[in-house]
Amino acid sequence: MITISHLRKTFKNNKVEAVKDVSLTINDGEIFALLGPNGAGKTTTMRMVSTLLAPTSGTILFDGKEADPGDPKLRRRIAFLTNEIRLDGQFTPDELADYYGHLYEMTPEQIKEHRDKLFDYFGISEFRNRRYETFSTGMKQKTSLAICLLHDPDTIIFDEPTNGLDILTQHLIESYLVKLKEEGKCIILSTHILDLVSRLADRVGIIVDGKSVFCGTVEELPKSRNVSTVEEAFLELYKENHEEKAIIEK
Amino acid sequence: MYGLGKIFRHEMLKIAKEKTLLFGFLVLPVITLFLTVGMTMLTPMDQEEAEEYRMYFHGISIESYNIGTMEDKEIWIVPVAEDPQVFMKSDDFHHYDVMVDFSDIRDVKIYYYESNSVSCYLKMSAESFVRKTYEELYKGMNRNVAFREVFVEDIKKEDDSNRMIAMLLPYMLVLPLTANIANLAGDTVAGDKARGTFYQVMLSPIPPLSLIMAKILSVSVISIVSSAIYIGMDVAGSRICKAVGVRDAFGFADVSITVPQLLLILLYAVLLCYLFSNIGVLISLFCKDTSQAQTAQIPMTLLCTIASIMSMFRFGISPASHYMIPVYNICLIFQDLLNSRAKMSNMLLVAVSLLIPAVLVLLATLLSYKSERVRT
Repeated sequence: MITISHLRKTFKNNKVEAVKDVSLTINDGEIFALLGPNGAGKTTTMRMVSTLLAPTSGTILFDGKEADPGDPKLRRRIAFLTNEIRLDGQFTPDELADYYGHLYEMTPEQIKEHRDKLFDYFGISEFRNRRYETFSTGMKQKTSLAICLLHDPDTIIFDEPTNGLDILTQHLIESYLVKLKEEGKCIILSTHILDLVSRLADRVGIIVDGKSVFCGTVEELPKSRNVSTVEEAFLELYKENHEEKAIIEK
Repeated sequence: MYGLGKIFRHEMLKIAKEKTLLFGFLVLPVITLFLTVGMTMLTPMDQEEAEEYRMYFHGISIESYNIGTMEDKEIWIVPVAEDPQVFMKSDDFHHYDVMVDFSDIRDVKIYYYESNSVSCYLKMSAESFVRKTYEELYKGMNRNVAFREVFVEDIKKEDDSNRMIAMLLPYMLVLPLTANIANLAGDTVAGDKARGTFYQVMLSPIPPLSLIMAKILSVSVISIVSSAIYIGMDVAGSRICKAVGVRDAFGFADVSITVPQLLLILLYAVLLCYLFSNIGVLISLFCKDTSQAQTAQIPMTLLCTIASIMSMFRFGISPASHYMIPVYNICLIFQDLLNSRAKMSNMLLVAVSLLIPAVLVLLATLLSYKSERVRT
């Protein structure tokens, strides 16, 4: 379980306050969707949760223990996949699995077992000896996902994982997310596709202008604004909180 | 630094799989070497016209004065404090000039060019001067000592082709090396950041410092290999020329290097390649993609180019302070080695002047890798 309390992040170099006050709770065995407009602070929040960035203030607790970004044990528990993350194009999926497996201190037997399972699921086995750079966008994303999950993490953070993918690949990834949830993994999913949220997510967190403005179940979200869909509720929340900021600025 | 070896191996494999990088580091040095040698061979060996003739005297207190004229040119006696062997290899010592070494009064030596009528005349004048000096010296000592034979040695100053290659080689080594390192270092970190592969490793339990150090080391190793190929090909070229008895256009045929000098040269190679690589990686740590990193590295490449070009316009012996200017000093010492006039003190200065920035840049890297700009 991840508990985020009053998280704040100001970048020293450009003095931008990317995250102002974010408080969320993400349980094990659930898919938590993180929603927000572009520039709201979702990616920065996820980078802080993944230990890539240190928060300016606030706390991130993993199972009640404060996260130490330098702790390798914690890093072994986390996987972070964004659609920006790519792998070295010169290498084959097999070579990449060996490399990243070793970085996560996995034994060759563990690497082989996990690699074969993931490659078979995502249909990579057939292309395991081909260079990553020769793959299509979908195949690249599937390979990145397989490599990202190779070390069997229990916290998985996905930043728009199905962006730009065809329907079949999207479906395959979505099915795998459900499988991971059933295994009891804690999954944080950032997306702009509200339909995906309705179909996959158990709970939702909404960030507007660096502040968390909602955290609850998918069912609670429309009810909280007396509307019928997730999309309408999201727009309502956005207008309320974004306008508020505009008035303060005036 | 856990994981350093694994990432280093991966980085080396990455370089090995990249044909354009291999071309830049392994093939380009060979091409530039042969271009340099070709240029040297096509350059005619013309001898400079002297404005005056000089008889240099070492080891004797003497004022500089004019002793007459020959072929409308003045003949001057000039004292010289510098070691005659070193001075004769400098550009100040002309083809017509004669050097009289009085360091040991019982073994005076006169050096001159064999096939030169002017220097033969100057040598005869020098011999008369030495004989006169002997007489005066021994008269004062009240001894009955006959005039001793003066040892006259022909000197073979390196021909212009050797000086030409000595001038060009360091420049042709430093220029592609800095450009290649800037290119590779720019791609190795900033390129990885743009591709997203940098964060994938940053997220692993591997300490970020291992990742950065592995990248610096991989760039350093390929640069050292590249330099070794360049120098190795050059030395081999000289050996072949010597073996088949043709004129050496590679410049290394008559170069003798002592063991301490060789060790220092190896140290230079390691320090210089490491320094360039570390600066390259340090700059690219703060850049978002390869093109931004390569643009940011232009000033460094430009400075190195200027420093190596400046070394080509060097005349005579450079003062010790010049051996403390990084990159420029590497070119100077390289020229000195090829012209057999490298001094150990200067070589040590070069090592120190490379070691200090290498340590400073390493410290800057250690402080920088934690920066937010590196991680975002």
